[in-house]
Amino acid sequence: MRLNTPLVTLLGGAAVGVGVLVASMLQPSGTASASGSGATAPAPATTVTVPLTSSAPATTPATTSTTAPATAPATASTTAPASVPTTASASASAPGTSPAAVPTATASGYAPPKADYVGRVEGGGAAVAISVHKGKAVAYLCDGHAVAAWYRGTAAGGKLDLTGKNGARLRLNYGSGKAEGLVMADGVQYNFSVSLVHPASGATRPPGLYEATAVVHGIGIKAGWIVLPDGSQIGSVEYDPLSAIPPTAQAPVLDLATGTAQYDGVTLVASLISGLTGSGF
Amino acid sequence: MTAQPDAPAPERVSLGIGKLIVPSLIGGLVALTLGVYGRLHHPTGVVVNIAGFTSAGYVKSWLATVATLFAIVQVGSALVMYGKIPRVRAPSWIGTLHQWSGRIAFLSAVPVAVDCLYGLGFQTYSTRVLIHSLLGCAFFGAFSIKMLILPKRGLPGWTLPLAGAVVFTLLVGLWFTSAFWFFSTFGVHR
Repeated sequence: MRLNTPLVTLLGGAAVGVGVLVASMLQPSGTASASGSGATAPAPATTVTVPLTSSAPATTPATTSTTAPATAPATASTTAPASVPTTASASASAPGTSPAAVPTATASGYAPPKADYVGRVEGGGAAVAISVHKGKAVAYLCDGHAVAAWYRGTAAGGKLDLTGKNGARLRLNYGSGKAEGLVMADGVQYNFSVSLVHPASGATRPPGLYEATAVVHGIGIKAGWIVLPDGSQIGSVEYDPLSAIPPTAQAPVLDLATGTAQYDGVTLVASLISGLTGSGF
Repeated sequence: MTAQPDAPAPERVSLGIGKLIVPSLIGGLVALTLGVYGRLHHPTGVVVNIAGFTSAGYVKSWLATVATLFAIVQVGSALVMYGKIPRVRAPSWIGTLHQWSGRIAFLSAVPVAVDCLYGLGFQTYSTRVLIHSLLGCAFFGAFSIKMLILPKRGLPGWTLPLAGAVVFTLLVGLWFTSAFWFFSTFGVHR
């Protein structure tokens, strides 16, 4: 009887598939892509070649003063001019001199030691939340789908330059009214200029950054929600957050009244990360 | 295989189509199984990587592109085999080319599919991933059908080209919702 070669092809492919599947199951999670981890985002970072210096507060005409953040320690003068008339008139009026200017220790350059900033990125496709508490910073970017990144690090002099997983990057200047900069993760890059969250008296769950972790069916998950001042929320949840590239999807809705969300039959209890109070730091 | 003399065509056609039932059921079962597995099991993230590529996403995108290129060879060789290319006579090796390009395309696609299914699962969070998930399941079902009906005799003449066209279309759709998107988003390189 002639060999049924199409069937051989089909079964051969199935055998290859099973082999790859078994090899995948035997790989400890997180190590499989060790040789390639961390490289997805830097690759796109090179294609999005806009350097920080020109793009950070790119919305403003005071572009000359924005070169300073990358080079000069004159941070006080650079936080303000970015685009916000509210924070500084003094340094914004002299964009040409700010690169060389000594930090003007005025209120315009004030970087609060405890602050939270929340808002949508330029274009509105995602949201970013930054919390600063006495020299430490936590930040989160998410688009409510597959783009989500946590950033942790130190804050000094009104500037943050944080890195996250897989080449994620967050660079910004923050002041008494706004935080502005650019954020990169999962191959996307956003500019943003987000406002300080003013402590709302009496609100148990104010706008800000919330996180929850749980183990669901044996896999760790980490959810993050950014609740915006208008009450809307954007949240993403990562499967197996410790793996090299955790799959990310939309988070279940966070019930602000109870501070919980339902995920796959498990109740997630969200906690606020607040630079003002220090919770989550 | 029972050797039956071919009866006059009209009597055979209905029985010919009947031979498609079992392969179709098997193909449907394959597609359904992949979809259910993808949906029910919890994805664990990226699983396989090959040194020399910057990330598993690139491994998969390049493998998928290789599979699609060989699938184009498939269509080209099929057109020649069926005499659809004017003034081109099918050389003796065209059948072998068709078979082997098909095998290479299929075997290139399998590790990509396993990585997708196991690492990412059947996802619905965006239109692109939903279409990709559906097409992925359908592709392996359709390919199974094509492999299973190939050795059968007495089928209507349109079944094999149709099966091939469906497989090809699904694969191209898969490539557009994955590798094309990936290269567009992250750049074309290793």
